[in-house]
Amino acid sequence: MSARLTGGMAWVMYPLTAATMLFVLAPLAVIMAMSVSTSPFAAFPPRGFTLAWYGHVLADPDFRSSLTFSALLAGCATAGALAFGMPAAFALTRCAMPGRDALRLILLSPLIFPVLVIGVALLRLFSDWNSNSAPLNLLIGHVLVTTPYVVRTVTASLLLADVSLEEAARTLGAGRWRVFRRVTLPQIAPGVAAGTLFAFMVSFDNYPISMWLADAQNVPMPMLIYRQVASIFTPAVPATSTLMILFAFVVVLVMERLAGLRRAMAM
Amino acid sequence: MAERGRIVRNEDASLVNATVAQSLALRIAGGRLIRRPNTATLAGLVLALPAVGFLAVFLMIPAVRLITAGFLTQDARGALGAPVTLSHFVHFFDTSLYSHVLIVTLRISLITAGLAAILGYPVAMVMARSHSAITRLVTFITIAPLIVSVVVRSYGWQLILGNGPAGLLNWILLSLGLIETPLRLLYSETAVVIGSLHVFLPMMVLPLASALGRIDPNLEEAARTLGMPAWRVFHRITLPLSLPGLAVGFTLVFSLTAGSFVTPAMLGGTNAQMLGNLIDQQITAIYDWPFGATIATVLVAIVVSVNLISMRVLDGRRSLR
Repeated sequence: MSARLTGGMAWVMYPLTAATMLFVLAPLAVIMAMSVSTSPFAAFPPRGFTLAWYGHVLADPDFRSSLTFSALLAGCATAGALAFGMPAAFALTRCAMPGRDALRLILLSPLIFPVLVIGVALLRLFSDWNSNSAPLNLLIGHVLVTTPYVVRTVTASLLLADVSLEEAARTLGAGRWRVFRRVTLPQIAPGVAAGTLFAFMVSFDNYPISMWLADAQNVPMPMLIYRQVASIFTPAVPATSTLMILFAFVVVLVMERLAGLRRAMAM
Repeated sequence: MAERGRIVRNEDASLVNATVAQSLALRIAGGRLIRRPNTATLAGLVLALPAVGFLAVFLMIPAVRLITAGFLTQDARGALGAPVTLSHFVHFFDTSLYSHVLIVTLRISLITAGLAAILGYPVAMVMARSHSAITRLVTFITIAPLIVSVVVRSYGWQLILGNGPAGLLNWILLSLGLIETPLRLLYSETAVVIGSLHVFLPMMVLPLASALGRIDPNLEEAARTLGMPAWRVFHRITLPLSLPGLAVGFTLVFSLTAGSFVTPAMLGGTNAQMLGNLIDQQITAIYDWPFGATIATVLVAIVVSVNLISMRVLDGRRSLR
């Protein structure tokens, strides 16, 4: 444990932090306040109290189909990311091999590459291949952006797991697969689960890949909200947004319970 | 990234373990293993192959093809081909409309990263050094918005910064009598900086907090015992030792801001376009693939060079010790 904040430093740092926390929460709180206003206009101050907009949103077929599509897309993308990312993370941490740093750089490169440019490059590729299935194209794009998060979080969990336990199991005659399933996996499960949830949300929230690859029938949630804000006037936007915020907060709480937030983010 | 120190140490340990295990195996097998290929290397390659193959097909090859598209010519039917040309790049840097967008992008990213460092430092200090309940609360508030879509967060800022008397900030200032006429905040560079700062602040706070957490508390303790005032301890010990975290955070925030699309589209409008918006415009509206690819290449070049410089700086510091 490093030094505690005390004395003059504490008097400076705590108020500044509190102010920044206010800044961070302000736009979310404002959306929530507007979502229960009886006024059909996004204008201050909010008036009255109603949950009518929520009924409106939940009954809206566009909202329902977008929500279902986004959840399915994020679920499949995360599964794909796990299938690619888990073995790769295992290779990075448990296999002494040359070129490991280069391998790590390659696996994490989608984190540095501008997401928007990944989307354009994929659009070009899919149009050359005449790949017209928007759900499939979106899935490939989303697997691409979620895989590095899975690699990062699984790598961090594997580095924290006790290697000597694995070696003991090996010495006692367990096969590699059995060691992984019975010794390694139970140790890394909470961290991996939390990190996987984060990868799920990265896909669920993604806009800059989806904007290139979605079509009129398959509209992920962020694109639906973007369109509603930008073009059509609907007073239900704050309610839709609030539902997104509440969903995110539930996920964060689960991540925090599972492994602690910073471990889940591997940052 | 946060775990960098630990990662390096653990890797060394696992390397040592691997070599110990290998030499044992060699001794047991009586030298028969020497001619066989290293099974650990082989297993590693097999395990990493699917991921690397996927990234090669869907990231590296498409990226290279997109970048080459910036050097090709588009015919009337939209097909790309010869002649190879630099004219799109010349056009980009020569047209003041486009070079202005480049400058705006660099300016917004630089200011956002700088402000993130200033705003993020106290938060990281509290996150790394407070009581566990406060640490958990601050971590929660910092990370939770990261999991809310950028579209939703930018919408929140639209409500706060809204021009006219119905925007939250204008409404407050007007009610308090601080201003006579509503301010015009939305659809400006300032609005984009505020929105980007909100979106990417965690990317500054998290690496900074882990850098601060790694500083040996004895150093600060010793300085204080020797009578150094708190602000000098901060200035001479804490701040310099946290510079690697600051560099990582600055690079992340700068790169992510430079590549953003939603925030400038929703908060900047036509007054604060960034490179991402220009790419969208060229490809979706004008269908000019070579020029869209040229702008994408400029964006990638900026992001990659900032990351390379930062890596060089961090490696240089490490080798000095």
